[in-house]
Amino acid sequence: MSSESPLVVLPGETIDPSLIPTHKKNPLRLGPGLRHIPPSEIVPTVAGQLVVDHRKTSMWIEYNGGRYIPSQGDLIIGQIARSATDFYYVSLSPYTPNATLPHLAFESATKKTRPQLASGELVYARVSLANRHMDPELECVNSSTGKADGLGPLKDGMVFDVSLGFARRLLMAKSREEGKVEVLEALGEEGLAFETAVGRNGKVWVGSESVKTAVMVGRALRETDEKGLGVEAQRKLVKKLVREMR
Amino acid sequence: MASTSSSPSMAIPGQFLGPVSKFQPGPGTHIHESNLYSSLLGVVNITQPAKAPGPAKRLNKIINTQTTPAELPTISVLRSAGSSDKREVLPEVGNIVLCRVIRIMPRQAVVAILICGDTVLEAEWQGLIRVQDVRATEKDRVKIYDSFRPGDIVRAEVISLGDQASYYLSTARNELGVIMATSEAGNTMYPVNWKEYKDPETGLSEPRKVAKPY
Repeated sequence: MSSESPLVVLPGETIDPSLIPTHKKNPLRLGPGLRHIPPSEIVPTVAGQLVVDHRKTSMWIEYNGGRYIPSQGDLIIGQIARSATDFYYVSLSPYTPNATLPHLAFESATKKTRPQLASGELVYARVSLANRHMDPELECVNSSTGKADGLGPLKDGMVFDVSLGFARRLLMAKSREEGKVEVLEALGEEGLAFETAVGRNGKVWVGSESVKTAVMVGRALRETDEKGLGVEAQRKLVKKLVREMR
Repeated sequence: MASTSSSPSMAIPGQFLGPVSKFQPGPGTHIHESNLYSSLLGVVNITQPAKAPGPAKRLNKIINTQTTPAELPTISVLRSAGSSDKREVLPEVGNIVLCRVIRIMPRQAVVAILICGDTVLEAEWQGLIRVQDVRATEKDRVKIYDSFRPGDIVRAEVISLGDQASYYLSTARNELGVIMATSEAGNTMYPVNWKEYKDPETGLSEPRKVAKPY
């Protein structure tokens, strides 16, 4: 992790070779946003902050794009558009081709017992196949174990739109330190009971027994995202919201 | 003998060419109510039939006064001014064709048929390779994305003339499949085994249904 000021790169810039992590045995791994032109050129393809991890010998670019491009293994929140013979058409983002979600890609689904999902319902799914030649495919079950692991239809609750970068920070394992997102923990500390599901395609689902709580959580997330609040400002925002709504 | 001035030299579809009693229909023509009409826009060719070697010495044989069908000249309409041997080649069932993959979908691959046998086709016909026709074994576990990619050149066999949109093709034999492929980086790849192509510059391999080289 870089301790000095973050390095922002533009597409096509040359990267200083001293920044590239080298290791005796491990090969260098390139994450999203970087392209390798053999034999030895590494070129960024998006504008963003270059992040280097020496421990894992990897480097990638953190960027906040406008359009979600599906990649394999991503968790997303999609809305069922319609149902075909063997699969559902699920919309991940507006004005893009629908993804397909097979009827049998749910936990304990057989040909006789299919899930009954109406059009307009939300599902929390994982992208099983995504490439630039075909429409993406989803699954609601871990294909190796057969268990759902939290995937499946999302009942009740509300969905809020957030930017892609914010969704990525929310999904980080250590969202407090690395993502600088404390808003959800702060709301929980105030005594609100809710559950969330974050989709990498820029959607956050908030489910709660009381509508006020869900709305409060949604507003907090939206404001944190839009104004780019730091940790302290997030705590202040949470306190202000709780005071307003009570 | 039929005179060429009675039938036109150029014909448009639907143009009257002559009665059935005077001409034998050839390619590019059709018969309607005992008259020959042109089906294509092109040049009208009249080929005289080969003279049947008749027994000239049998003077007392009753000769049919009407000309037999074999002695009528054949009238045909051809698009180009070439010889009448050059016909439009169409893929038939059982032909081995070379095609380029246009689009892949989860259950089929759409291809454009370019070469039929040894002839380069003048028009591109659309073909379809369904997921159950890609391989001969394990048909239910085939993934189109691991067998073809857009831009590949594929050798396939026509299994059916299909519907209005496309022919149906199959690559379910060892010598059928992808014969030329380009990698994601843009380089031409070499086959490694029946399911992999390798890019010599980057060293990465990509899955394809590879045709066995002759």
